[in-house]
Formats: sequence, structure tokens, C-alpha cells
Amino acid sequence: MAVTNGRPGSASPNGRSRTERLLTFLGSVRFAIFLLSFIAATSILGTLIKQQASSEEYVSLFSEQGYAVIHIFGLDDVFHSWWFLLALVLFSLNLILCTVNRFTLFLKNRSSEALPKESYLSTLALTFFCQGTRLEEVQRLCRGYRAVLTSQQGVILEKGRFAQYGVFIIHTSILLILLGGLLGLMLGFKGSLNLPVGESADTITLRGGGEAARRSLDFSIRCVDFRVSFYENGQPKEFLSSLEVVENKRVVLKKDVRVNDPLTHRGISFYQATYGTDAAFEFVIGGKSVLLNEGGTFRQGSLALMVVRYAPSVHDFGPGVQVAYLDNGEPKAIWFLRDVPRLREQTIAGIPVKLERLTQQQYTGLEVTSDPGLWFVWCGFFLLMAGLYINFGFYHRRVYLIPRDNGVMVAGTSRKNREGFKREFERLKERIDA
Amino acid sequence: MLNDKILGLTTLLDVLLVLLFLIFLVTKKEAVLKAAWLLLYATFAIHTAGILVRWRESYLLGTPHAPLSNLYESLIFYAWCLLLIQIVMRKVLPPLLLLCLCAAALFFMGFSSLWPSTIQPLIPALQSNWLHIHVLTCFLAYAAFAISFFCGIFYFLHLPFMPSKDALEEINYRSVMVGFPMLSAGILTGAVWASYAWGSYWSWDPKESWSLITWIVYAIFLHARYARGWTGRRVAFLSIIGFASVIFTYFGVNFVLSGLHSYAS
Repeated sequence: MAVTNGRPGSASPNGRSRTERLLTFLGSVRFAIFLLSFIAATSILGTLIKQQASSEEYVSLFSEQGYAVIHIFGLDDVFHSWWFLLALVLFSLNLILCTVNRFTLFLKNRSSEALPKESYLSTLALTFFCQGTRLEEVQRLCRGYRAVLTSQQGVILEKGRFAQYGVFIIHTSILLILLGGLLGLMLGFKGSLNLPVGESADTITLRGGGEAARRSLDFSIRCVDFRVSFYENGQPKEFLSSLEVVENKRVVLKKDVRVNDPLTHRGISFYQATYGTDAAFEFVIGGKSVLLNEGGTFRQGSLALMVVRYAPSVHDFGPGVQVAYLDNGEPKAIWFLRDVPRLREQTIAGIPVKLERLTQQQYTGLEVTSDPGLWFVWCGFFLLMAGLYINFGFYHRRVYLIPRDNGVMVAGTSRKNREGFKREFERLKERIDA
Repeated sequence: MLNDKILGLTTLLDVLLVLLFLIFLVTKKEAVLKAAWLLLYATFAIHTAGILVRWRESYLLGTPHAPLSNLYESLIFYAWCLLLIQIVMRKVLPPLLLLCLCAAALFFMGFSSLWPSTIQPLIPALQSNWLHIHVLTCFLAYAAFAISFFCGIFYFLHLPFMPSKDALEEINYRSVMVGFPMLSAGILTGAVWASYAWGSYWSWDPKESWSLITWIVYAIFLHARYARGWTGRRVAFLSIIGFASVIFTYFGVNFVLSGLHSYAS
């Protein structure tokens, strides 16, 4: 191509503007191959370099300067970096342009069918001439073939036409999957919830946002029961949580959630991920038994207290629990020590408070996600499989029949599965010869 | 256990298969090829029986699951897929490639013996029917890509006794045309399963990333051929890169990187 120093939008010698040429490039297979290579190469980096780790970890792995480089280029979170996203956006654009271009061309070719020139037919590898037969007879023997064009000069027959749609279905399905992914990224969330048995919660902790990132749900979820069974060697065999969804104090949904079997309510899914135990402290406050975790609060009339922390050994006096409370509006903290009778039972705001016992409370670890793009992804998956089946399970081929003075010239061509078509064509020849 | 004995016998039959195909390539006697094919079918049947018996025996041990749960079992299964792909593509494959695939099956059977063969309990994350279809599609793809790899290697070596370069290229494409949809199905079934098990269909876990890298290499392969008309050395080179990526997806991720799929080691 000639080099031009034209202004933006000015026509180049071959009659195409700059915008047109840019569009052609953006929709080219060459650009697609470049983008795919880029995505693959950066994905390799994303698996070789540890992702989303702490800065201390990177410094110890790659030194101070190494970490600086990694951080500048976003290599510590490749798959969420702006340039990776940009590559995916460009790839989507490329796929749209490329598919639209090809589809328009495909439709144009369909609408203007014409018999190919003699010079083209003579270049086809699969041709033969059958002497002394009429065109109609040959056409009758081409079983499964459909006439695209019938004229005095000849006939075009074809088979497996729908196979040509396979590639368009595949490309559309990939766009659907990418769209679904984008929707999930923008409108969805991922979080977790550690729920002690018997308790309920209406907020969850969002992933990657630290302590502050919490999200409240429009309903509350209660863990009624948690069970775990083990194999003989001590490996967990199955663990499940009996969950209840509560809306306006009414239980609207109950389900035993297992690994591989989540609960979904209002587009939010709860997955069984882990389980564990938390330290729990049983207090007797004013004659009533109360179970509190670290950070747990209790209120009754003028009394307001909170469990600050647990220590397995306080000044060699054994395990203790620090409790904060309000004394006439002033915050104060005291230690309850299990093994020191005088400190085990104390009076706060005139009410006797006793640390009854230290126990373990089992909790279920749930993964909580919402992904509004999920159905786009599922549709994309389904279409992709259908498209692949059509594209690789079938193929399009054509047979040209050209009448001559003393017989019919037969020529065949296929872009894909040439070996298979060759065999089919040979069988056709045998049938016609017989 | 019985499954170990049957699978041990399969390994011996694999040795015999390799020898028979070698004898055929030297003598070119049709009868030898016929015998080799019969033995191939028999070996496949016995290998299948071995896997089924192992499945059955897992029930007797109180840990019922298909033998697809760890590296040992996956190697056995890959060897099985390498036999199956020969039967599926029997009309396309020349004896030299049959020899290579049987040798590969033998190699993976031998490799499996380095790992403990005891039937282990199945962790909760793997207790799903998606396991079967996910592993089957992935490993059939890996087996088809092995054919593509051998074609690529032979294209570069190209010694007198090998099939013509055109024939190698044709077989190469055909194997990718089997492998690519299979790999796609493997990735998609994996994604659906991940969505049920982990709450996310894609989390850029190393195994997922590497399967995508492999998928991209073969997508480039197909587009380079059909849309840009690549042939010859460049395509042969891509099929070697593609299989290197397969091997890294299969082993590299388990041995070098860690992630959600680490139970497979």
C-alpha cells in the first residue's frame, strides 16, 4: 500500500478513508491473533507471579525494586488491571467488527449467486466429466444436495449450508459470555459469612475490601444446624448447614446447603465453603445465661457491655475475657478471669456478672455471591457448545454441474474437511458412472 | 487389589502393542497391522475393565467415586483416552501415529506407577456429577492434542518413512478439530461446576488460566489456518506450542503452581 500523509479522514489513493482503514484493522484476524497472544502471554505472567498478595510478600520474593516494577504495571493483580480489561474490551470490539463484516459478506454472496467462471472451475481439484448423460440425471444422483442456482449454463448444488452459521454462533456466544462477565463485575458482588450455629445475620463481609466492606441483605439468614461427617482416616466426608431465610420474621425458605449444592434467594447464593470453631463465652448476667463471642454486645436497661478480647493467659492467672462497659457514660474495661474466684464474678452497674464458662462455638463458613450476568454466561455457554457442534460436526460443500455438448462436467469444492469431501465426491463419481 | 492387577496387565499389553506396531513399520506385513489393531481393541477393553473394577472397589472401601480423583487415577485415565482417540480416529491415523500414541499410553501407565495407587476418599468439593463429564472432555481433548503434537514434530523431522507433509498437516487439523470442541466443553463444564462448588464460574485459578491459554493457542491455530491461510512450519510450530501448554496445564500447574485444583497432585 502506498504511504500517504493525508489528514485524518482524508481519502487515500485506493479510495478508503483513515477511519475505514482503522476499522478494517480493528476487525482484522491479524489484530485478533495479536490480542489473543497478548491475553495469553499476560495470563502466563498472572499465573507465574503470585496475585493479590501483600506488599511484604512481594518485597521478600522480588526485592524492593522488583516490587516497584510489579506494582507500576499492575502485575500483582493482572486479571483486574486496567490494561487487561482494555485488551478484553478491544477483543470484544474486534470480535464484533470481524463477525459483522463476515456476516455482511456472507449475506451479499448469498444474494448474488452466479456460476463461477470456467477458469475457476478448471482450478478445482475435484472434477470429472461424464459422457452421454443429461444434467437432470446427474442432479438426481447428488443425494442430499439442494439446488442454489439453476440456469441454462449450469447448476450449483450445495449441502451442509447451516454449517456456515457455526462460526457466527460461536463468536456471538463468546461476546455473550464476555458481556455476562462484565455485568457480573459491575453489578455483582462476592463475599463471605461466618455464621455460628443458632444465630442469624443480615450483613456479609465483601471480599477484598477489608473490615469496613460489609453489605446488608434484604433478608436475614439463620444457621439452624451444622453437621460434618468424616472418613475413617479423618478427612471430612461431607459437611452441611441447615439454613433458613427469614423475611419479616417469617421463614420463607429452608435448605440444607452442602458443598456443590448452594441455596439461592433473590439472586444471592450461599455456598458451603468452610467451617470452624470460635471461642465463645457464657456469662450469667443478673441470673440469666448469655453466650457472647469476641466483639459481642449485651444490653439490658442501664447495662451495656461488650466482649473486647480473649486471652488464654492473663499474668499467669489463667484464661481471661476483657469486657468493656459504660459507667455513667464513661467507657471502662475490666478482666474476668476464670480461675480467680474474686475476678470471675463482678458487679457492673449494680448487676452481678459472672463468667460461667469458656466454650467453643461451631460456625459455618459460607461464600456469598450475586451475579446478575450469570444467565448471559449460561446462554453463552449453551450457544458456544451448539456453535462448536455445528461448526466442527458438519461442513459446507458445493457441486457444480455444467452441461456440455456430449455430457456433463461435474466439479466439487469444500473449504473444510477436504479429505472427507474427496471421499464423498469419489463415491458420487462411482454412482454416476454406474 | 484386583484393579491394580488388571491395570498392570494393561501396561504389559501396551508394551506388546508398541512392539507390534514397530514390527509392522519394519516388515510392512498387513497381517501384523491387523493383529496390532485386534490387540489395541483388546487392550482398550481390558483397560476399561480395570477402571470399572477400581470404581467398584471404591464402593467396597466405603468411599464410592469414579477413579478420576487424583494424579495417579488421572494418568491411568489419560492413557485410556490415548487408546480411545485411536479408535475414534482410526480412519485417519497412519500406523506411525498409532505407534506413538500407544507409546504415550505406555509412558503414562509407567509414570502412574510412581504414585501411590491406594483408593483415597473423595473430598467434598469433588463430590459432583460434573466431575465425570469435566474430566472426560478435558482428557479426550488432551489426547487429541497429543496427535497434533506428534504431527508437528514429524513435520519438522520429516524422515523418509514418515507420512507426507500434506498428510501430516491434514491429520494435524483433524485432531485439533476434535480436540478444540472437547477442550471448550471441558472448560465450560468446569466453569459450571465451579459455579456450583465455589460460587464463581471463573476465578483465575492457575488451572483455569492455563486452560484458557491452551484454548487460545488452538483458537489461534484454527484462525491462522482458515482465515489467514497459514500452512507448513508455522502451523506445525503452533501445534507443538499448544501441546506444551497442555502439558503445563496438566502437570505444571500441579507441580509448580498451587491453587484450587491442587488436590489433583
